[in-house]
Amino acid sequence: MTSTQTPSSTRGLAPTPPPAKTPSGLGATARRWGHRVADRRYLPVAGTLLTLVLILVIGQMRYSTDTRSFVNMRLFSNLFVDNSYLLVLAVGMTFVILTGGIDLSVGAVVALVGLVVAKLLIAGVALPLVLAAGVLTGALFGLLIGVLVHYFQIQPFIASLAAMFLARGLCNVVSVQSLSIDDKGFTDLASWRLKFGEGRDIWYVNLSMIVALVVVLVAVYLLHYTRFGRTVYGLGAGDGGQAVGLMGLRAARTKVWVYVISGTCAGIAGILFAFYTRSGFNLTGIGMELDAIASVVIGGAMLTGGSGFVLGTVAGVMVYGLIQVLIAREGLDSWWTKVFIGAVLLAFVLLQRALTSTRAGRRRSNREESPGRSRRFRAAAAPPPTADA
Amino acid sequence: MTGTITGADGRTRFQTTVARVTGHQLFWPVVALVVLLLACGIVSPGFLDVTVRDGHLFGQPVDILRQSATPLLLAIGMCLVIATGGIDLSVGAVMAISLAVSLTYIAESGTGSNLSTALTGLFLGLVVALAIGVFNGFLVTVLGIQPFIATLILMIAGRGIAMLVTKGQITTVTSPPFKSIGSGFVLGIPTPVIIAGGVFVLVALLVRRTALGMLLESIGINREASRLAGVKSRNITWFVYILCGLLAGLAGIVYGAPTMAADSNNIGLMKELDAIMVVVLGGTKLDGGKFSLAGTIVGALILTTLERAVVIFHLPTQVTPLFKALVLIVVCVAGSERLRGKLKIRRTSRPVVAAEVAA
Repeated sequence: MTSTQTPSSTRGLAPTPPPAKTPSGLGATARRWGHRVADRRYLPVAGTLLTLVLILVIGQMRYSTDTRSFVNMRLFSNLFVDNSYLLVLAVGMTFVILTGGIDLSVGAVVALVGLVVAKLLIAGVALPLVLAAGVLTGALFGLLIGVLVHYFQIQPFIASLAAMFLARGLCNVVSVQSLSIDDKGFTDLASWRLKFGEGRDIWYVNLSMIVALVVVLVAVYLLHYTRFGRTVYGLGAGDGGQAVGLMGLRAARTKVWVYVISGTCAGIAGILFAFYTRSGFNLTGIGMELDAIASVVIGGAMLTGGSGFVLGTVAGVMVYGLIQVLIAREGLDSWWTKVFIGAVLLAFVLLQRALTSTRAGRRRSNREESPGRSRRFRAAAAPPPTADA
Repeated sequence: MTGTITGADGRTRFQTTVARVTGHQLFWPVVALVVLLLACGIVSPGFLDVTVRDGHLFGQPVDILRQSATPLLLAIGMCLVIATGGIDLSVGAVMAISLAVSLTYIAESGTGSNLSTALTGLFLGLVVALAIGVFNGFLVTVLGIQPFIATLILMIAGRGIAMLVTKGQITTVTSPPFKSIGSGFVLGIPTPVIIAGGVFVLVALLVRRTALGMLLESIGINREASRLAGVKSRNITWFVYILCGLLAGLAGIVYGAPTMAADSNNIGLMKELDAIMVVVLGGTKLDGGKFSLAGTIVGALILTTLERAVVIFHLPTQVTPLFKALVLIVVCVAGSERLRGKLKIRRTSRPVVAAEVAA
C-alpha cells in the first residue's frame, strides 16, 4: 500500500537534494542538473528573479549618472532598511500560504504591537520585557487563529478576519493617538547601525536588517530541512492533511503552528516597524497584509498551497520595494505604486496559471490511475520529483 | 412526561421543534440581532420608535435600514460569488472607482443640477463597475485563476485607479438629483432602502424562481461534476462576478451620494471584508455550495446595528472592530460543526439515560 501511496503523497513537498544515487558518468550528472534547472517548481521563482534583474537593469539605465551607478550597496541597504518589517511579515505569511491558508490579521497585529510597545515603554517597563511582550502579543493572535481554524474548523480567511478586527479594535482601546517612543534604550536599538563604505557610497547595516535576515534563515531551515517543514508543504496538498497523516506526520499540530509562526512574525515585524517609525499609531498597517500576500505571490508561491520558497518570498519583497523606488525616482504620485503592484501581480498570476495548466494537461493522461483524487488536490499538487525521472 | 406526543426517535414534538429551530442556519445570527436590538432598546428607551415627519419615516430603525443598504448590496453579489466557491475581494475598490467615475463626470459636465447629467453619471459609474466584473470573471473562469488572487489584483490596484480618475483629489460636486440617490425618500421610505430592497427581490426571484440558484450551488459543491452534468459552469460563474461588480458599483454610488465627495482613499475601505462578514453571519459557508440570500439581510442588519449600538452605548466608535470580531467569532464558533457535534451528543445522551431509568 505504501508503495502506491508514496508518489501522490510526496507531490507538493519541499524540494530536497536528489537521492544520492551513483551517477553513471558525466552525461547522467549533466542531465540531472539540466532536469533540476528546468524543474517547473523553480519556474515561478525564476520569473521573480528575472523581474528583479529587469527592474535593476531599467533602473541602471535610467537613473545612473556618470559619477553614480543606480545599482550599488546603498540601494540594497535602503531597500532592506525600508522593507525589513515587510520581509518578516511575508516570511511568516509564506508558512501559512504553503498550507493553503491565509492570514489577514498581520497588518492589524503590527499596529497593535507598535502601540503595546509604546504604551509599555511610556509606563516604564523594562525594555527586554517590552520586546518580549510585543512578540508574545503577535504569537497569541496567531494561536487564536490557529485554534479557530483547526479546532472549530472556521475557514482561515474568516478566522484571521476576526483576529484582524479584534486587533484593530484593541489598538483603539490602547490609544487613538500616535504614541511617540522616547525611551533611550529603544531609540538606541533603533538607531544602532554599522557603517560601510566612504563618502557618497556609504551604506549601513542596522538591527532591523539583521533581525530580518535571522528570521529568513530560521524559516529556510524550518521549511526545507525539518520534518515540520515537510508537514507544512504536505498540508498544502489540499486534502485536509490526510496524506500527511498517512505519512505519520503531525498534521493538526502543524496547522496550528503555522499560524503561531505567522503571528510571531507579525509581532517581530511590529517591533521592527516601531523601530522604523519610533512611534505606535492605531492606523498603521492598514493593507499591510495585502502587501505581504502580494510579495509572497510575486515570490512564486501558489495560494492553493504546497508550492513556494522562502527565498522566492525574499525576492518578491525586493521586487515590491524596488517598484516603490522606481516610482519615487520617476516622480510619480504614490498611488501609481498600487497600480504597478497590481500589474506585476497579474503578470505573475498569469505565469503561474500557464505553468499549472500544462501540469494539469500532463496529469490528465494519468487520470485513470487516480480517479478518486479531488479537484483541489490536483490543482495544488506540484509535479513529482523529476530529478531521476 | 406522560401525555406528550413522542416522535419516531422518542423525542417530544416540542424537543423536535426546538432542535429544528436551533439547528437552522439563521438561528444564531437572528439571536445575535435580537439581543443587539433589545440591548439598544434597554439602554436608550426611544431606540425602537419610528415616527413620520413630513411624510418621511424617521427613527433609529429607519437609519439602521438605510445604512444596511450598502453592506446588503455588496453582500448579495458576494453571496452568489461565494456560492460558486469563489470570493470577490475587489468590491471595496470597485465602490471607490465607480463613485470616482460618476462624480468626475458630473464635475466636468458642470451641470450637476440636471437630472440627465446625474443619470448619465450614475450610468457611467455602473458601466465601469460592470466592466470590472467582466474582467474579474474573465480571470476566474476563462483563465482559471484562483478567485482570491484574481480579485486581489484589483483590490490592490483598484484604489490606485480610482486615484487616477480623480487625479489624486477629493472630487466634490453639487448635484441634488445625484444626492437624492443616497439621502432622498421615495414614498416616505429612504431611497437606499428601496434600491437595496428592489435589488434583493430581483436577485431572489432570479436565483430562487429559476434554476439558477440550484445551478450555482451545484457549481460550488463540485464544478467538474456539474459541468459534466451539462451545467454551463463557466458562463454562470462569469455572470455572478459581473453581477457582483455591478452591485458593488451601485453600492459605491449609494454610499457616496449623500456626501457627493469621491474620496478614493477611504470610500469602501475594508468594505469587502464587511461584505464577506455579512455573508458568513448570514449562515453561508465560505466553501461554496449552499447559500442563504435571506441570511445576507440578517447579516447586514447585525453589522449596522452593531455599529449603531457602539454609539448608543456611548463607546468610542473606533472600538467597533472589537465588537465585530466578537460577534464574528461567537457566531462562527456557535455554528461550527465541532461545537454542534458536542452539543448534540449531550442532548441525545440524556433521553437514553432517562429511558434506562424508566426501564
